[in-house]
Formats: sequence, structure tokens, C-alpha cells
Amino acid sequence: MAVTTSAALTDGLRAIVGAEHVREGGAPVDGTIPRWTAAPATTGEAAALVALAHDARLSVAPRGGGNALELGYPPARVDLVLDTGRLDAVLEYTPEDLTVTVQAGCTAGALAARLAPRRQILPLDPPGWATRSLGGIAATHASGPLRHRYGTMRDLLLGVRFAQADGVLTWGGAKVVKSVSGYDVPKLMVGALGTLGVLLELTLRLHPAPEHESTWLASFNTPAHAQECVAALLDSTVQPNRIELLDSRALAACNLPVSAAALVVSIGTVESAVRAEEGLVKALAQRAHGTIETMGASFWRTYDRALAAFEGVTLRIGTVPARLVETLGAVQAVLPGASVAGSAGLGALRVLIANADAGGLPGALEQLRAGVGEVDGAVIVERAPRSIRERLDPWGPVAAPALTVMRALKTEFDPRGVLNPGRFVGGL
Amino acid sequence: MALSASVVSGLQRLLGPAGVVLTPEGRLTYESDMLTLYKAAPDAVVLPTSTDEVQAIVRLCREAHVPVVPRGSGTGLIGGATAPHGGVMVSMTRMTQILELDLANRCATVQPGLINLWLTNAVRERGWFFAPDPSSQMVSSIGGNVATNAGGPHCLKYGITTNHVLGLEAVIGTGDVVRVGGKASERAGYDLTGVMVGNEGTFGLVTAITVRLLHLPEAVKTALASFATVVEASEAVSAIIAAGIIPAALEMLDDAMIGAVNAAVGKVYPDGAGAVLLIELDGPRAEVEAQAERVAAICRERQALMVTVARDETERALLWKGRKEAAGAVGRITAAYLLQDAVVPRSRLPEIMREMVAISKRHNLLFANVFHAGDGNLHPLICYDDRKPGELERAQQANEELLHACIALGGTVSGEHGIGMDKAKNLPLQYADADLNFMFRLRRVFDPDGLMNPAKLLPSHPACGEGFRPSRPTLPAGTWV
Repeated sequence: MAVTTSAALTDGLRAIVGAEHVREGGAPVDGTIPRWTAAPATTGEAAALVALAHDARLSVAPRGGGNALELGYPPARVDLVLDTGRLDAVLEYTPEDLTVTVQAGCTAGALAARLAPRRQILPLDPPGWATRSLGGIAATHASGPLRHRYGTMRDLLLGVRFAQADGVLTWGGAKVVKSVSGYDVPKLMVGALGTLGVLLELTLRLHPAPEHESTWLASFNTPAHAQECVAALLDSTVQPNRIELLDSRALAACNLPVSAAALVVSIGTVESAVRAEEGLVKALAQRAHGTIETMGASFWRTYDRALAAFEGVTLRIGTVPARLVETLGAVQAVLPGASVAGSAGLGALRVLIANADAGGLPGALEQLRAGVGEVDGAVIVERAPRSIRERLDPWGPVAAPALTVMRALKTEFDPRGVLNPGRFVGGL
Repeated sequence: MALSASVVSGLQRLLGPAGVVLTPEGRLTYESDMLTLYKAAPDAVVLPTSTDEVQAIVRLCREAHVPVVPRGSGTGLIGGATAPHGGVMVSMTRMTQILELDLANRCATVQPGLINLWLTNAVRERGWFFAPDPSSQMVSSIGGNVATNAGGPHCLKYGITTNHVLGLEAVIGTGDVVRVGGKASERAGYDLTGVMVGNEGTFGLVTAITVRLLHLPEAVKTALASFATVVEASEAVSAIIAAGIIPAALEMLDDAMIGAVNAAVGKVYPDGAGAVLLIELDGPRAEVEAQAERVAAICRERQALMVTVARDETERALLWKGRKEAAGAVGRITAAYLLQDAVVPRSRLPEIMREMVAISKRHNLLFANVFHAGDGNLHPLICYDDRKPGELERAQQANEELLHACIALGGTVSGEHGIGMDKAKNLPLQYADADLNFMFRLRRVFDPDGLMNPAKLLPSHPACGEGFRPSRPTLPAGTWV
């Protein structure tokens, strides 16, 4: 292979996106300053950047809002950062179809503003969602409280355009709400951390905004009573938007009345139904020995801000709703002082560790992972300083046969290791 | 191509003589699914009872380079469970167990041969149900639903099969058993569960499925609105969705279908209407009541001839009866038909319905419509007489024209039936070479030898062959290696 000089590569990048949109260096990705940062204005330019990187054997790290750069192993290399900041257009919005096509750099907040006049929503609310790019939310499979009712990006991504590792622009899925034409390529891209393709355009399913919404705080003396209430809600005809569990420390962090554990439940539908459901929610909470109070509509903003502003180590625990008590207990046993919050009805919890003990964390993770192993769950380090992540496995174990398939996928679609190398499970 | 004696004896050793069908008349039963345009009997049919047996079958076939074709209940509509290259068909009809019910965690794990409705029957009394409800749900298997990513009338609100599959166990083309996904809400790694649903057996055979169960809604309300024309009914559909109401189901029948249904099961729908909409709302009672009033008002604003709301379960069942028996009722108006499954963006329904009338006139063929209007999923039955020379060809031509029109409006070639043999040739309408090539390579990861349900889902197209290189972006000259 001919040796290509750095200057020649800079020229190549400039020729693609224009000199003013390329710079040497740039904001660090997980502590590593890239060799270049380039910001394409079109999907074509983005694909050309990837093609050039591929041919020059550079690595590519896509960057959206920069909110989730501490997810995964530290990168093996960061040569070219592909900044999607200029790919922020809403390409096609058809309110009558409840679908929208956006460029990957469009933030969830910008899209929400565009949808609001039509009273429609994209119900994805991971912490700090308003400034997060939709491509980033897809790549990291980030989720928030609304997941309880609407699912995650996996349920809302209908179609996706991406650049393969060699720059070939590729489309998967469809632009309509129902399609089984060919393989479900969008599912492959959600949560893949950009390791199989750089996401450039997303077609998304929207929902009508609830006409009316109310939120209640149910406080309990023990986590067991909170879990009892969750079980009762799930085994009822109540259809909440969110059932968020907060332990005592999470309650304190949100300036809420502190109890052993609390549920914040919201219901969104027509006003008459919200009022009718309120009675049911209260009865179920009281039957589980809870006390209940009505919260203002601003609670969810406060909660989002508290989670987004948290600067310590964050874990995502995937378990099941019948094991909330065990999970809270396990966290307190191995990470005293950590707080827990998350979707109780799904068993999707976040652990927030303010002053993480770097030395003890690998052992704590191992114990938590043993606990969720029985239900094939996971404990993923969503965020931690690089110095901590260098000493542990941020993803946790993946069973050998499935990991073999994942490796084969990476080898097939990115044999040179262009796309975010080293960051994903098994070091893919 | 007949199987070698060693493969036959190997299969018999694995499954016993009762587990292997070899006689011509026995195999004939397995020559097609419900789309009988594609008929090809396998060389052998095997009836395993466990994952271990399925794995042994796949390994044996792989060793001998024999194709493997999975089959559930055989109710598919795409030429999926048929064996154009011969080989071994694996029937899942003896793998029908519910392996685990875990209502506390809202899920169940089942074997692939379990009939869709049996799962709901097992949990309904306790207040739960399995949401995907293809019209075949009384006979189709959950494994088949997973293979085709099946839909159904209530997918408008609840989503299609993939939205309800939490985890899978499968024997893939490499002969390995992989377990992906599961009950828990988070998992590290690629979403193999998501990408495996809808693979039509081309990645391998699913041997266990963990599905989400939903709690039954507090209330259900069903309404029927009749309109003078399908275009007016289509406009009402768009207006309901645009008003922010997502009914549980929103189905349309046109005049040809109304006539057929009324002739077959008694007068359940008003005669003389150009179209009826069957609208079902479910959820909390107060929500259903409020939305039903609004839906009725929207239909009236859109010049509905009549709006009826079922007052009780008996009336509700009657309104659905016609919809559910529509496919059977068609026998009264035609000897044979082709069934289309394309989708248009729902806002384009009025346009495509006008186009359909034009195509029907152009070819002098009757189109009878019964379809999932709420998500734009068309199901015209293109009626023809197979005894008249050339009429099938005309029907096929009309079918192709309609499909092209749907794609031109931004639609998709299949909404819920799948691709199989029938629509593989149509995928290039919707996908560029690079997209097809990506799917071809995806398949090869799971099935490196090309033995898993060959000739299905992907077309024979240069982009779906070894060595094909999609075109790459043009780069400025002279800037790199």
C-alpha cells in the first residue's frame, strides 16, 4: 500500500466537505483527540468521507450530540470524527401518516419543536434527550421513562440510510408504518454503536401527543411494597405512559419527599379517561400500602435534567419487573451510596454512582451481572471515565454462540475495522 | 434430487420411522403453502420434537449439502413452505408446548409449532393476550408468525409480530444453536432477535420463542361506518388518524366484498354501500367512549351513509363476522384470485384506491377489497377465472401494475405476508443494488452454505450473488492511496 501523507488526506477531506468543515484535531472522543474532524452537509458527503477513510485505512467515529461518548470500551483508534451536526434537517414530515424522515444529526429537541404544532411526538426520552441527536439515540439504543408505553428506538425506527464501512450508501426498511419486505435491517443498526454502518437518515414512526396528562407520586415504606404496586398496575387495565421507580437517593436528588422507594406514574389520554384512571392508580397504590400525591406537569423535565446533569458513573441494568426488590438490594449491597431509577414496569433501571470506587467497580459489576444472568439480563456501563472503563468490561458477557454471530456480522460488514473499532461487545 | 440412502437412514435413526415422511403421497401434502401457484414437494418431511433433534437434522443436512425448509401450519401466502430445490422439510407440528408462562413479567416462552390463538386461550381467563392476530390465527403457528413477521387487523395499534418477540432460540445455518434476547429489558450486543424475526427460515429454524403478553383492555368498542365510495371511506381513514386517534383496528371492505360477505353469512353489512369501515377502539373505558364519539363524528363529517356502534358483544361479533369470513366468502364471486399485500402511506389511500379502479377497468377484472386501511396495507383480491385462457396472466399483469403504483407512492411490496418465492422478484422495485447486496451478505452470515430455505425472500439478481460490488461514492481524484 502506498503511504499517504497526512497533508494529502487533509486535502482529500477538504475536497469532499469544503475546507471550512474540516479541521485537524477536534473535540476529544472519550479522551482521544482525533486526527481530523469533518462535518458533512449531505449524506453523499458523509458516505464519501467514510469511503476515503476506508481506502486510507483510517478509523471513523460518528459523533452526534456528544452525549454518549463514554459508552463502550475506549476506542482502539480515533482517526476521523464524522460530526453529524450539519446533517440536521427534517427531510420529510407527513403528519397524516404519522411518519417523519430526518437526518441523523437532527436532535430530538429540534424534531419535537417541529412536531408540536401538529400535536405529534416521537416518544423517545433518554436523559438529556432534547440535545441528543436521533442518530445517536439509535446507535446507543438509549431510552427513558416513555419506553414503558411506546417502546424504544427499536420499535419506532421504520427505515434507515447508512454508509457501510466502505462508504456504500445503503437503505434498509421502509417509509411506511408496516413493512415486511426483506430483512429487518433497521433492527440490526439500533444499538450497534455505528459499528456496522454510519447512520445518516432515519424514518421514524410518530405518535399522537396525549391530549391530557397527569402524574402521581406513590411513596412506599419498603421496596417490596413498590414492587407490589408495580405488579398490580401491570395486572390491571390501567395504561400508564410511564411507571418510573426511584429509590430514596434518587428521590432526594430530584428534591422529592424521601421514602424507601417511590413510583412516579403518568397517564396520558383524553381528559375524562385520565380522571377515571386516576382513581384506579390511587386505589392500587394504597392497596400496596403507599401514599399518593399529584405532581405538577414539570416533574418530567426536572427528572430529565437531574439524570442528564449527573456526572458520575451510570449503569444500565436490564432485568424483569418481578425482580425489582432483589435488584435494588443487590445494588445497595455492592455499591452502597448509589441511587437507582428507571422503568419499573419493564425492569430497565439506571444506577447512578456519585463517587465510584474505581478499584471496586469491576467486582461490583461481576456480582450484579451474576444476579441478572438468570433472566438473561445485562448490566451495561452507560457512562464512566475512561480510566475506569479501561479496567473493566463495560458490556458484560455475551453467550458464545451469539457472540460468534456478532463477530461474523462485524467481519462481513466491516472487515477492516473502520467503524468505531474496539468499542463494542467483545471488542468489535 | 432424491436423498441419498445415508441421509434417509440418518434421519430415521434420529427421529424414528414415524418422524420421517418419505412416501410420495405423504410428501404431496407438503408441496405448497396456501399460495398454490408454487408447488414443489420436499424429498422428505421430518417431524422433530425438540431443539436437539432440529439441530441434529440441520447438521446432517449440512453435511450432505441438502436444503432445509421449515414449515409451521402451512398457512403462509407467499410460497414460503415449499421446496423448489427439494431437500428436507422440517415440520414443527410436534413442537407445540408452552414452555413457560410468566405473567408477572408479562411474557411466555413457547415452541414454534404452537398455534397462535392457543397462547391467548391459555392466558385469556387471567386477563392477558398475545397481540399479533393474523386472520389465520386459529391455525397458524407462532413459529410461522415469527418467520414471516406476521401482522393482523390489530397491528395498527399493537404493532406486528416483531414488536412482541423478546427472545429466540434457533438452529442457524451453521448448525449452531443460538439463544438471543430474552425476558430482560436490556442486552449487550447486536439485536439479533430483531434481525432474525421475519427471516422466513433463510437464517435457520426457530425452536423456541419468548413473547410479550399484554393485559386485556378494560373496554372494546366496535363501529361500522358505510360510505358511498371507497375514496370517501379512505378519506375518513386519513381523517381519523390525523385527529390523533389510533384505533385498535381500522378495516375496510369495498362493495364487491360487501356483496360476497352478505351472500355468504347473511346481511351483516348495508347493501348498496360502496365501502364500509370497521373501526375498533380499545383501552380504558372513558377513553374508548370519548374516541368512539369522535370517530363517529368524523365519519359523519366525511359523508358516511350510516354509522352503527355495536351495543354488546353479540353485535360486535356480528360486525367482525363478515370481516373474518371475507376470504371464504369470495368463493361466491370468483373461481380464483390473486391476493396483493402491498402498502402505501396511509395518506395516499384515496389515490391508490382511484388507481385501483383504473387498473381494474383496464384489465376488465373484478377487484374485491378487504384490508387494513388504518396502516395503508392493501389486500385486493384480484379475481380471475382459471378456466379462461389468458385470464391468470391478465390478473398477474394487473397485480404487477398495482404493485408498481404502490411503490411509486412511497409504499412497500409486503405489509405482513412476507416475500417467499412470490415477491422476491419485486424487491428490486423497492431496494437498490447496494441494499439487496447488504441483505444477501446478512443472510450469508447466518447461512454460509445457502441451504436454509433456498430460493426464498431474496431475488436471483446480480446484487444477491457472490462477488457483486455495489457502486461507491465518487471521491475527489488524487487524494489518497
